[in-house]
Amino acid sequence: MVEAVQIGLGGILQGCTYALLALGFSLVFRVTGVINLAQGGFCILGALLAHSFQAEFGWPILLAAAGGIAVTAMVAAVLGALVFVPGLSRVAHGNMLMLTAGLLALLTGAILLIWGSQPYALPPFSGDQPAVLFGITLPTQGFWIIGSMVSIVLALWWLLHKTNIGRALRACSENPAAAALMGISVPGMTLLSFILAAMIGATAGIVIAPITSLQFDTGSLFSIMGFIAVAIGGVGSFPGAVAGGLLLGLANQFATAYVSSLFSSALSVGLLLAILIWRPSGLFNVGKTRRQDVREEARVQKGLIRIARQAAWIWGGLGLVLAFTLPLWLPGGSLLSSLNITGILFIALIGLNILSGYAGQVSLGQAGFMAIGGYTAGWLAVQYNVAPILGVLAGTLISLICAVILALITMRLRGLYLALATLAFGLMIDSLAVGLDDITGGPSGLTGIPSFSIGGLDFSSPLRMYYLILGIILVSLFLMAGALRSDFGRALQAIRTDQTAAAALGINVPMYKLAAFAISAVFASLAGSLYAFDFNYLSPEMVGTTRSFELVTMMVIGGEGILLGPLLGSGLLTMLPTMFEALSVYKTFANGALLAFFFLYLPEGMFGGLVRAFRVIKNRVGHRPKRSLLHEGRV
Amino acid sequence: MMQNTQAVLLEVKNLTKNFGGLQAINDVSFVVPEGKLIALIGPNGAGKTTVFNVISNLFPASSGDVLLAGKSLVGLSPVQIASLGLIRTFQSARVFPGMTVLENVMVGRHRMMRSNLFDQMFWLPRNRRAEADIYARAGALLDIVGLQQFRDSHAIDLPMGAQKMLEVIRAVVACPKILLLDEPAAGLNDAETADLAGLLRAICDSGITIMLVEHNMPLVMGIADEVLVMETGRLIMSGKPHIVQRDPRVIAAYLGMEG
Repeated sequence: MVEAVQIGLGGILQGCTYALLALGFSLVFRVTGVINLAQGGFCILGALLAHSFQAEFGWPILLAAAGGIAVTAMVAAVLGALVFVPGLSRVAHGNMLMLTAGLLALLTGAILLIWGSQPYALPPFSGDQPAVLFGITLPTQGFWIIGSMVSIVLALWWLLHKTNIGRALRACSENPAAAALMGISVPGMTLLSFILAAMIGATAGIVIAPITSLQFDTGSLFSIMGFIAVAIGGVGSFPGAVAGGLLLGLANQFATAYVSSLFSSALSVGLLLAILIWRPSGLFNVGKTRRQDVREEARVQKGLIRIARQAAWIWGGLGLVLAFTLPLWLPGGSLLSSLNITGILFIALIGLNILSGYAGQVSLGQAGFMAIGGYTAGWLAVQYNVAPILGVLAGTLISLICAVILALITMRLRGLYLALATLAFGLMIDSLAVGLDDITGGPSGLTGIPSFSIGGLDFSSPLRMYYLILGIILVSLFLMAGALRSDFGRALQAIRTDQTAAAALGINVPMYKLAAFAISAVFASLAGSLYAFDFNYLSPEMVGTTRSFELVTMMVIGGEGILLGPLLGSGLLTMLPTMFEALSVYKTFANGALLAFFFLYLPEGMFGGLVRAFRVIKNRVGHRPKRSLLHEGRV
Repeated sequence: MMQNTQAVLLEVKNLTKNFGGLQAINDVSFVVPEGKLIALIGPNGAGKTTVFNVISNLFPASSGDVLLAGKSLVGLSPVQIASLGLIRTFQSARVFPGMTVLENVMVGRHRMMRSNLFDQMFWLPRNRRAEADIYARAGALLDIVGLQQFRDSHAIDLPMGAQKMLEVIRAVVACPKILLLDEPAAGLNDAETADLAGLLRAICDSGITIMLVEHNMPLVMGIADEVLVMETGRLIMSGKPHIVQRDPRVIAAYLGMEG
């Protein structure tokens, strides 16, 4: 009994942190309708700043805490003003989630650069001696945690309901257009909510830091947990955020104590999926929901990229020659290996692009299918000596089944919730990859995976692997190009922006979403299997949620909605760290910065930018009326 | 009233729709004979667009029935309704952003496409024929409305009048049995409206039944075979355009006079 109470108390403390994070999510969501995944990054930033003020400068702990919160607020002000607020008026609503994922990567990368990868902890605010009541010990820090949560809840309530600023914030959340007409600065209020949320996040990080150690990448876990809490409670509801946080904290602690720590996050995600299915609006319904399917014509401003058939043949031919001869010119072996990785990730990206770039469905769980494909094929080969090609097929089949089940579950969910369900799926696979150590080898990974082979022909050398991957890509591109230039592709693009109008033309919207989802899962699974065979090894972080985010970045900076576009993104993000070793430490930071930059300034991606540049050059050089790129077939 | 010799394509029986306490449509009944162009007019808030939305089942009716060629549409999804041959457009032109003008027309053909994903991926003859057919049809329609030169432009870059035309031909390429057009002339200037009138009449003469909701009286009076008038959720009269135009009830409804 005492033990259960003790665990429950631990759960409440953890839950308070989640609740604080969830409050930040709810605040930003109320004002903007966006889930801000950067929240967890501010949490870590605040805590590490406080640590530095305390340990390096010798400030007293409370002053250091205040300093940490203040500096975090300044960082949030800069990021909010330069990225988040401009993004709201330029980036399609569904993509805002990805933009904030980019901000999270940016913060994580910056923290890695400044503080390195080791864990940090703050000293307890009121000494190490725990309080003992009726045989139950409670660290004194617990009072700080609970106290700060209660005071923030009260302060938020007071701010929103008793002050002019609060009324303005609520007006923005009810009806931004009308609020603007009433003279309220909507961008200003948006920025304010973003900064306030960051400060709440920083507070959460600082008060939890004495009882748990934090490091640069804990932020994504915090974002995810805070987000799960808010989704359980009901997005946008403050009581829901608190209740969701506490429930999640308790569930987590009891699962860790009585089941296994390896499965605790699977349980959290299971809880989330159950709530999303049972009550998509969460336990506490806020009464009004923001419309997710508003037409986004104004924000789909990026130009059209269409290449004339003749130009496509010429460039395609040149590309093919380049692709086939590339290994001959490359100097070292490491470049060839990273070319192979570029190609493997591009296979996953072909699928993601069909789902997101064409059909407009945001997926943050693509690496989950890579994991299924990789571990299935790898495990079958290692344990049962199954031929790799059969392993690939088995993995694809399992991925396909999972995708169909997930799609059927999420069919009723739209926009934001669909993206969140895919994120939850990815996290679930993450934690299974760690937890099912009999199959996956747990955190240390699955070793001894053979190289790919068909019959007697094995692909153990990077060069052979290169041609195998190239062949798979060419076949995939051929098949997908056929489908995308036909009715299938047109139907997907119609669904992307206007599901009501698409349905009115007889396009079976759920069916096409399901098809796009299944196709994306098959490609991801295939890529995952190849990845495992290429490395002869597979570990959870190779195919984890970070990888999902990276795939999204690659797609966006390469050019979504263009079949070949993501190849450039995959190439850039894979090859650069290989060519310049010193750059690899900047990788996470650069991922985030590039994602934000491209979303805001070059939404058609590198591919679209290149096509546009060629068009400009063409128009300057030849003075023929422009009809399409390189129409005459001359370079 | 209408001749009984004509085959009835669409029949609306005692249709009622309540939004909370508000009765948006109250016991509306009418028939649309095959091959005719029927206009539904009435002042703002009369419930015209709601009639369309209930027929195409964007919202379910509170009571009543809608029959297309004798088959009830109640409870069918918008997709099923479209596949039965009832195609509608929307009050604000809803062309698909991110697609060219030509692609926007071609996507309208979706319900008639018989090639499956497998055919399309391998670019099999069946799909090649289907694509060539739709390409030719879309091109011909673009010629008719004078948008051929913009076929490769981004559809949302077109002016509003052209977007409206585009939406109409996107619906026509679907080979509908009946076309429901929701205020196709809204936002058009006089020249564009005249073009639209010619286009609608031509579509109707080619055998496609049309029902339209419209505010623009000259357009309606010029092309409609039959006019239905709604006021505050009720159908107050129907008849030939020139008769309706002179009816005191209609004048009262439009000018707000009593009796």
